[in-house]
Amino acid sequence: MWKSWKFWTVWIALGGLISLFAFGFTTDPKKVPSPLIGHEAPNFQLINLWNGESVELSTLRGKPVVLNFWASWCVECQQEAHILEAFHKRYGETVPPQVHVLGVAIQDKSEQAQAFARQFHKTYFLGLDNTNGDIALEYGIYGVPETFFIDPQGKIRFKQIGGVSAELMQEQVDEMLSQG
Amino acid sequence: MSDLGTIALMIALAACLYGTVVPHLGVRTNNWNLIRSAQNASIISFFLIAIASGVLIHALVVSDFSIFYVWRNSSVDMPMFFKVTAFWGGLEGSLLFWILVQSFFAMVVAFRYQYSNREIIPYVIATLNGILCFLLVLLLGWSNPLDLQATIPAEGRGLNPLLQHIAMVVHPPALYLGFIGFSVPFAFAIAGMIRGKLDNEWVLTTRRWTLVSWYFLSMGLILGGQWAYEELGWGGFWAWDPVENAAFMPWLTGTAFLHSVMIQEKRNMLKIWNVVLIIITYGLTIIGTFLTRSGVVNSVHSFTQSEIGPAFLVFLAVVLVVGFALLFRRIQMLESEHKMEAVLCRENAFLVQNVIFVGMAFTVLLGTTFPLLAEAIRGTKLSIQAPFFNTIMAPMGYVLFFLMGIGTVLAWRKSSKESLRRNFQNPMITATVGTIILAVVIPFHLEAFTIFWIAIFVTVTILIEVGKAAHVKGKQLQASPLVGLIHVFQRNQRRYGGLVIHLGVVLMFLGFAGTFFSEERDLTLEREEMVPLNAYYLKFTGVEQFQVRNATHRAAIIEVYDQDKQLLEVMKPAKSFYPTQPQPLTEIALRREFLKDLYLIFSSESGADSELVTIKTYVNPLVGWAWMALPVFTLGIGICLTYRPRSLTSRQEVLRQQYIAAEG
Repeated sequence: MWKSWKFWTVWIALGGLISLFAFGFTTDPKKVPSPLIGHEAPNFQLINLWNGESVELSTLRGKPVVLNFWASWCVECQQEAHILEAFHKRYGETVPPQVHVLGVAIQDKSEQAQAFARQFHKTYFLGLDNTNGDIALEYGIYGVPETFFIDPQGKIRFKQIGGVSAELMQEQVDEMLSQG
Repeated sequence: MSDLGTIALMIALAACLYGTVVPHLGVRTNNWNLIRSAQNASIISFFLIAIASGVLIHALVVSDFSIFYVWRNSSVDMPMFFKVTAFWGGLEGSLLFWILVQSFFAMVVAFRYQYSNREIIPYVIATLNGILCFLLVLLLGWSNPLDLQATIPAEGRGLNPLLQHIAMVVHPPALYLGFIGFSVPFAFAIAGMIRGKLDNEWVLTTRRWTLVSWYFLSMGLILGGQWAYEELGWGGFWAWDPVENAAFMPWLTGTAFLHSVMIQEKRNMLKIWNVVLIIITYGLTIIGTFLTRSGVVNSVHSFTQSEIGPAFLVFLAVVLVVGFALLFRRIQMLESEHKMEAVLCRENAFLVQNVIFVGMAFTVLLGTTFPLLAEAIRGTKLSIQAPFFNTIMAPMGYVLFFLMGIGTVLAWRKSSKESLRRNFQNPMITATVGTIILAVVIPFHLEAFTIFWIAIFVTVTILIEVGKAAHVKGKQLQASPLVGLIHVFQRNQRRYGGLVIHLGVVLMFLGFAGTFFSEERDLTLEREEMVPLNAYYLKFTGVEQFQVRNATHRAAIIEVYDQDKQLLEVMKPAKSFYPTQPQPLTEIALRREFLKDLYLIFSSESGADSELVTIKTYVNPLVGWAWMALPVFTLGIGICLTYRPRSLTSRQEVLRQQYIAAEG
């Protein structure tokens, strides 16, 4: 039996299959590298959730931008809310700001987005994507939260799928600030 | 209350552990009382698991949101029916449902076969209890649906509205019944190998279990397709998503098993192959569950990523390693006693068909796990889409479909060329003529016409076969062919039940063929304007808002007219808004006709008073025929189930009498 090729084929196939599945635990199939990385961030205009003022992404060149896509109905967005706000307090409220933080609510309603912002004491620039979801489409968003780190030259450096951590934000921003 | 359920599950785990270990001791010490106590343990565990299930259902009914699972999968506004069926709507609850059914099967098997399969039943009980132990450890350790949460919310999150559909209520339990059912032949095969009793009895005894499991798996797949068609709103019913594939793989190998056991029964051949098939089939049911719940492959409708993946992988490894280790240990006992006698015989047709089924299962497995393989080896992310599967699976499917017709008329052992010519001539001529006529009526499409040709060929083969048998029998009985037909079905239930199922498969293939003629169009309709579409005229009359159960629907009212501008139906494709869901969902409108479906999706509306709407339309020919396969399968399986091998029935009765007499 030990010399039979069938014997060894079966065990090698089984071993391979189980190892392959075990490998599956080390990766997340939902994390697909964005083709936008290294490319210029698509420009857009965002209207402020509170006062109707607008900002255009291209006008923020020269400083890194943290672009966060979120929604009031998203549980993970609640979990990362205070991290983003704390980050903004540290880097966005300096004069002049070291980093701009923008939040784009997608598939959301204005009142609900405002309620969410109030609940988590958000002070950075928040706006609503238009009804067609153009900004989300441009950035290839397929879930919330997703966060893009855009360098001072306007190029996307990193994309985080799922909630951000304070460490991750620190690391990305340190890198962008040191470069430029 | 929730504690009561959890404690019941813990005691059930103890009972199952007892049921796993004690039968071995009983056999070693030749103490039947020990084995009997293991049987009793399976009753106890079933009732304890039923209590835990009762606790969960009660919590769902009364919306007890102190239980996390209830909060996550149910809400106060949900109709009662969906509250109850939320029992299997989420990950944890479906696992408990699985355990409930598994323990019920274990209990039935422990008693049903106590006399007839006395040599191996202790190990069958041990195997089924072993499976239960694993599932209970999994449930109690990682995903207990009775776990409480610290704060009690006033309202639950609600069952995903997409799942609030009747097909989705029946689809998961049907799949589970199929998956779990295959554990019974698997347990018999394992027990036979442990004990070294590898004659044909395990195959004969578990025949009905295999049939019923196959039926439920088929039902699960068909209803899943129907649900996707009616609820997801993309006009199709099968997308080769990993989760669909997960259920399809055991169906393929299970179907192969269903056929190849007949060769073992009739000709004492393919014994090793059958053991391999049942190990693979059961293994694939575990792989299916693993893929759905572990989050290792990307799928649109997998459960949220959970912690039970690694534990499931360990279980899968145990099932496959134990199964194949036992097989290699007993491989000499399983060598065939007969060889094929001729090339043209039914055994060979079955064999080729078996190889194709397994080849298809392998293709699906490869396609499903390939993204993982690519990432492991090259570190690249990729996804395998429908074209890969269609390119490989479709030709194999057509060959299988054709073999279905061939197998019907080939004889066991040997068929003469003359009889083949006689049997195939008429069906082939009819199929060719029929296809040519169709080509005049409808536009030519190679794949669709291949299916049409085979469908006519298979149907005619079956009808001639049944007709001939009925005619001969009628003559023998000096009665009408109808009486002959009834007699034929009564005397050889398995064969004719099987042929009925094959007719169901024909319907299914015709349903697939219809998709090649599907027409998709986006229409922008102005109010009160008549727009032609296929054989209809559509008129949009306005937008309406109304309540359907717990959802608010906003619908475009579309009047459908025929060519003579006679009103046929008012259709209401809509968007639905559920109180607990932020996103509106698509509610398609469907008009079913015998030959085609008109399928409407409400895309958007514009204008201050909604003067304009955009509707996505599909005209899908023959799709409804694929669903019709299910009642035909039901009839066929019903006929097959009435068959019991005579040798088995008489042997089991003798054994039963002997044991009862011996026990006084």
